[in-house]
Amino acid sequence: MFDESEIKEGFICPICKSDEKNIEVLLKHFDEQHSEEKDLITTFRDVFKIAKKKILNFDEKTFENTLKISKPTNPFQEYDFIDEVQEIGLFTNHFEYFKAIRDPRIERYATETNKLIIRLNKLLTNRPNDPQQIKQHEQNLVPWIDGKLVKLCPSCAKSFFLTRRQHHCRLCGSIMCNDCSQFLSIDESKSIISPSNESKQDDSVDIILKQPEDSIRMCEHCLHLLITRKEMQDSKLSKPIITKIYEQIETLKKEIMPHITMYEKMIDSLYKGDSVYTLADAGVLRGKIGSTAETLDDLSKKVLTLKCMKGSRQEAIQKSLRMAAIKFIKENMLTLPQIPVEEEIKKIQQKRIMELNQKIERDRRLAQEAFEKYDLSENYPATSSKTGSSIKMVDNWSGFQQNIQVNANDPLVEQMNIIKGYIKQAREALRFEEIETLEANLKELQHEYWLRAQQKENSEN
Amino acid sequence: MNLIKAVQMYIDKMIEEAGVGMKILLMDRETTSIISMAFSQTEMLQKEVYLFERIDSGRSNERLKYLKCIVFIRPTRENILRLSNELKSPKYGSYFIYFSNIIPRTDIKALAECDESESVREVKEVYADFLSINANLFSINIPTCLHALNWQSDALDRSVSGIIGVLLSLKIRPTIRYKIGSQVAQTLAKRVFDTINKESSLFSFRPPENGIPPPLLLILDRCDDPITPLLTQWTYQAMVHQLLTIKNNRVDLSNVAGVPSELKEVVLSAEQDDFYAKNLFSNYGEIATTIRDLIESFQKRAKEQKKIETIADMKNFVETYPQFKKMSGTVNKHLVLISELSMKIGKRSLLELSELEQDMVCKPDHSAQLQKIKKLVSEERINVEDALRLILMYSMRYERHANCGTVGLLNSLKERNGRTHLVPKMLEYISQSARSELFNTVKITDAVKLTRNLIKGLKGIENVYTQHVCVLKELLEEIFKGRPIDQQYPFINSSEVPYRRPPTEIIVFIVGGATYEEALAVHQLNQLGYRVILGGTTIHNSETFLEEVIAATNGAPFKHSRSLQAFHNASNA
Repeated sequence: MFDESEIKEGFICPICKSDEKNIEVLLKHFDEQHSEEKDLITTFRDVFKIAKKKILNFDEKTFENTLKISKPTNPFQEYDFIDEVQEIGLFTNHFEYFKAIRDPRIERYATETNKLIIRLNKLLTNRPNDPQQIKQHEQNLVPWIDGKLVKLCPSCAKSFFLTRRQHHCRLCGSIMCNDCSQFLSIDESKSIISPSNESKQDDSVDIILKQPEDSIRMCEHCLHLLITRKEMQDSKLSKPIITKIYEQIETLKKEIMPHITMYEKMIDSLYKGDSVYTLADAGVLRGKIGSTAETLDDLSKKVLTLKCMKGSRQEAIQKSLRMAAIKFIKENMLTLPQIPVEEEIKKIQQKRIMELNQKIERDRRLAQEAFEKYDLSENYPATSSKTGSSIKMVDNWSGFQQNIQVNANDPLVEQMNIIKGYIKQAREALRFEEIETLEANLKELQHEYWLRAQQKENSEN
Repeated sequence: MNLIKAVQMYIDKMIEEAGVGMKILLMDRETTSIISMAFSQTEMLQKEVYLFERIDSGRSNERLKYLKCIVFIRPTRENILRLSNELKSPKYGSYFIYFSNIIPRTDIKALAECDESESVREVKEVYADFLSINANLFSINIPTCLHALNWQSDALDRSVSGIIGVLLSLKIRPTIRYKIGSQVAQTLAKRVFDTINKESSLFSFRPPENGIPPPLLLILDRCDDPITPLLTQWTYQAMVHQLLTIKNNRVDLSNVAGVPSELKEVVLSAEQDDFYAKNLFSNYGEIATTIRDLIESFQKRAKEQKKIETIADMKNFVETYPQFKKMSGTVNKHLVLISELSMKIGKRSLLELSELEQDMVCKPDHSAQLQKIKKLVSEERINVEDALRLILMYSMRYERHANCGTVGLLNSLKERNGRTHLVPKMLEYISQSARSELFNTVKITDAVKLTRNLIKGLKGIENVYTQHVCVLKELLEEIFKGRPIDQQYPFINSSEVPYRRPPTEIIVFIVGGATYEEALAVHQLNQLGYRVILGGTTIHNSETFLEEVIAATNGAPFKHSRSLQAFHNASNA
């Protein structure tokens, strides 16, 4: 049927096997006739892309090959093993063993500490006021060691006599001299028993008091256990201001990073003449980034003003935090490109539109020329009529759908309006990622709508 | 096989394991250098490490419980004791402990017993126990490692752990060869071999695929090539080290006249400085051209900056600002370095000296060379230390020559108050095999070497200042070509079956220090696709090498230099 030399294999439709002669025509044919076979389309398109690449590359490659011969290899590479993916070096984990040694010890301490806390609790509840009664109360709860058995103070090894009298630890009942006794104030004891009602930030107060009026006498060992416990509680419960500010800073940093990349993308797209984002969008986003920078700056300054000793670690860390914040602002926020001026953008956009129009015009002309050529030579059934067929007609392409009404009831128009509404909302909420996809949707719809309008025109003709 | 990357990955892993939040890094003297070679302080700030502290310096008792503490220390006795004390009264909220090498279990037990507040979250061994200077160059940072021509015991221990660190960081279980005749190389090779066998569970890496020989660890001795560290260098890194001294990637410029305050000490790190990374191995001529181009483009930009008229100009400026700023810093730094180098080269007539040095080590021409040296040594414009270098090379080169003029040269050096005692010391330091092989006094029987020398002679000289080829380069080429080296470089494990194919990966370790000239040779081989890593007890320039020679020959009897008795004592100078 066809002159074989005229059939270009590359332009046969893979579904209906019709020869379409030319890239533009084939794509158009495919869009119209086989739009349902979506997955096929994509594979087809991919194949096409590859083919296109190969064809285009063919010349480039031969060109490159000739270049390669003359291109000298760079003698000074930065690294020798540059392309190598390096595996991390060996690790040996000793934590299991460490824990196996530590944990039983801790456990032993923990049971002992718990015992002490229970006793401390009992000592404090229903504590009588009269000193004589206190002693009775204490002795009832904790069995005291018999003084006759102990001749020397167990911690300092000095013998007891008239001026060095025996004292008992109120928690374990052991004996020591006055010099070796430790005291824990009632207030502190209470805070150890119920840490939740402890709210003071001031941890600089020395909790160990030397023999005050209202306190509990105990041996060094018991005190050590209690203090260790208290410290662990404190570090778990209290959150110093610096940590709170630091967390704020880090959250801000994390939140602003996507905005910064978005902004850069936006500026880039504006300079390219895309209309996805407007200048106003960029302005708003820039404002947001700017205000975040200010907040970051303020927060890090606040860190600097926190109370601290000169030359202390606290001071060093405050300075270091401030420095890190300044670096972050400098590197990520101050270097942002300026917003382009409106006129400039307009110029760019117009230029782009002109270029696009020219391209469309050129493509169309080429396609037309191709048509005419084949139309004349083969008397091939007029493909132009096919441009009229709508997507709804694929299963039955004998007829044309006549009435596509261009009015507000058109679902396409409705859809477009909805999407426009969404875009507006998204813009107000500064969700530029969404705007991008919505804009893409809108474009597709607009294209569809345009196709239909064309089709209608055609059918009217 | 990138050493810098290996250390970086270890550090990143430590920081990652500590999780988010403010962190402090607790280190010792050596690990501080190890980390500073891999990351700058700014980079550490970005990783939420805000405070750096040395465990071995006086520390306050101030507690900051909201900080996480990453401990990275060497597993030494003192460090374990210090860490035990730290854990008994913890200053920080939680501890993540990393040792830079193998730690005995008893030490872990001792630490575990101190952790009463349950603040330790991690205890690991990582093996970043060396200074990564370039991607393929490491140092153990021991300035002098020998005494009476034998190991100082702590230097030996440190070298073993350094090499073990490199092997484990790169997951390599090598075969080991050493230079025959070198007692120190053999001792080190044996110790490394024993450690690998003792810790065989650590070294249980998958052996290479069929037939590919395992990587080779080659242990050499500096006294087999004492010439290389004495030569004037002409590639950037080597020049800077030779003339200004690089210490832990830092160059002290504080006594250079007219240097701005921020450049009193400059950091030369291939990781952080692109310009440096690209020009590390460029020669003096190339680098001068590059820096001129750089300045020109910089000036161009600076000029552009002056006439910001349109918005596009401004935008351009702002957009390029970070690089602009960075670039101006780099340009300044390298400009200062280069001008200082060229000032020294001019002042010390190094081009002239270098020509003579190269001539002397590559060509036998005794009388002419002696005449030149005689003239130069007595001249005031020649630096006394440079004169000493010339005499040192001459004395080794022509030790056995019938008309050896070393005594005469030493006498004129003495008149200039030079360190004459170094010459006899050097003659004690140089090894027996270097005496017979280092210079082109080739025996007729060694056909290969003879032909090679002939070919070399025919080819002509490309550059008078870089004729010298270090022993290491020739050796590595031989190995990669598959030439038999068993005679000269035997395996430490005599039962080792030699593979038919040459190894594809080689780690070289030079006892007594490597040099940047050798690093360049290794780099050139790597460019050809070989995989070589170079390390040494330290990285020497002439000055530090002479210190090493003095320390190494201390306490050694004078055997070879009896004829120079008059110059033996330092006090004579």
